[in-house]
Amino acid sequence: MTGATEATAGASPAPEGRRKERLDRGLKVRTEGLYAVNSYREITYLVGPRLLLILGLAVLPLLLPNLYWQRVLCVAGAYALLAISFDFLANYVGLVCVGGAFMTGVGGFTAGIFTYYLHVPWPISILLGTVLGAALVTLIWLPSLPLRGIYFAILTFMFPFLARGVILALGILGGTEGLGPVAGMDNIWIENYLVIVVLLVAVFGLRRLVGEDAGIVLRGVKDNDMAVQASGISVTRTKAKGLFIGSLAGCFAGAYIVHLYNFMGTSLFATDYSILPIAAAVMGGSGTLAGPMLGALILTPLSELLRGFGQLRVVLYALVLVGFILFKPEGLLNWLTRKYHQFEKWTKV
Amino acid sequence: MLEVKNIMLFYENAIAVNNFSFTAKAGKITGIFGSNSAGKSSLMWTLSGIILDMRKKEIMRGGERITVLGEIIYEGANIIDMKPSDRARKGIVLCPERRRIFPESSVMENLRIGGYLANAAQARKTLSYVFEIFPKLKDLRHRNGGFLSGGEQQMLAIGRALMAQPKVLLLDEPLLGLSPAMEQRLGQAIKSINKEIGVTIVVSEQYARPLFPIIDYGYIIENGAAVLEGTAEELMNNPDVKEAYFGI
Repeated sequence: MTGATEATAGASPAPEGRRKERLDRGLKVRTEGLYAVNSYREITYLVGPRLLLILGLAVLPLLLPNLYWQRVLCVAGAYALLAISFDFLANYVGLVCVGGAFMTGVGGFTAGIFTYYLHVPWPISILLGTVLGAALVTLIWLPSLPLRGIYFAILTFMFPFLARGVILALGILGGTEGLGPVAGMDNIWIENYLVIVVLLVAVFGLRRLVGEDAGIVLRGVKDNDMAVQASGISVTRTKAKGLFIGSLAGCFAGAYIVHLYNFMGTSLFATDYSILPIAAAVMGGSGTLAGPMLGALILTPLSELLRGFGQLRVVLYALVLVGFILFKPEGLLNWLTRKYHQFEKWTKV
Repeated sequence: MLEVKNIMLFYENAIAVNNFSFTAKAGKITGIFGSNSAGKSSLMWTLSGIILDMRKKEIMRGGERITVLGEIIYEGANIIDMKPSDRARKGIVLCPERRRIFPESSVMENLRIGGYLANAAQARKTLSYVFEIFPKLKDLRHRNGGFLSGGEQQMLAIGRALMAQPKVLLLDEPLLGLSPAMEQRLGQAIKSINKEIGVTIVVSEQYARPLFPIIDYGYIIENGAAVLEGTAEELMNNPDVKEAYFGI
């Protein structure tokens, strides 16, 4: 016979075997269109997780047994903001920033200077500390923005040490001893709810932002900066905008901590502020923004429980980081989201 | 030499290779032709075992679930679950799509990395053979891989794969992005490699014209399944193939 023979795919039987199939839940598919508003069940499916987060955070301070744990919540909130900032910068702008402590330091000192030296009321100094601090951080890191990946990470990691060295060497801003008391909020409920409101604004605001045009450009810079340049967009300017937005969260955390502790000193540049947010982001789920927040809200109280072990707490972060990177790199929230939206079943091939 | 039975490959719920069977006869060149997304690269990854590595990474990341089913019979054993490094040790060597040379190593270093599995005598012999079929590489041997042109990089990639002393050489789209003249030259080079070392070659490509003269047997793959098979002449005489792969 001449001519090519028809190779028939179905002629020989397919191999025996089964595989796990992953399918979207019917409810999820139904809620994708406009008709989701037709039924309460579908609205609940959409709004439920978000509402759970808002209500959960809103009642959390009421449920805490004593002042000590309420203070822990404040600190956890500050770490959560740093974690969100890290996640946003790393996964949506492409800047792996390991210098969260620099943001807390600059934001904290800026806000603290206003309150301590100029006797500005704390809400205004926190606001000024956040905005001016973020501007300052962006300005200082501007020359290093062309760097990518590990190089940017190394550079940002060095900055807290640098700033601390400058303050210690020159003896300015309180030098080794720090400055205090900085007039603070002095009301645990205000302290609690301020950080919770800012957290929610940060999470929902940033999640909205990354879906908008501006956010798409930011993600474009992360994926392929050459193509972004070819589209007529300045990469450095876009990165600077992203860095400013990310630093806002970090600097607020610093300004908040200063007014929480009524004290500002070089401890604001502590490496904890750089490292714990990364562990939280990896644990919670990189790229989800809400995940790192959850991670921080879990990790901080956990490390508080282990306070008796002193410096060994750092080992805990390291273990969490290594454990999650090795065994669950997607993080908690990505995993939960998948379980929420999809189900699995075995199918025969 | 290499007998592939009923390979099925799923990326999550999408089927990439659908019940594909073929045989690569010892010392012959087998061609696998298909358009984009036909499943050629997925098939090559399955043959070389790279897919197992991808599957592991996806599981860790919580990403797509990759399912591989079927049998690959090589030297009398089913190697479907064998690690890619072990397959390379046994002589199944992949020359990947888009070349994937080491851009910051020189040509010489690239070839030496490829020759990691060979002993000194084999490496010396193969190196001189690579320089014999690709004389241009000899002139460029101190240049960094990243500075080579597309054609030179492809020569380097094939040379690197040869250094690993393959018994079965898998070439995934070796003619990607090359000029027609370069396509001709590489086609001839592949033929002479096959003749002179006697290595079994499986080559996948989208555009069939430069390769049809050199292959012994060919398969046309569409949507992951084989739709036609035959010798080069048989395939060439098929009107559908003419239209789709020769543009006549």
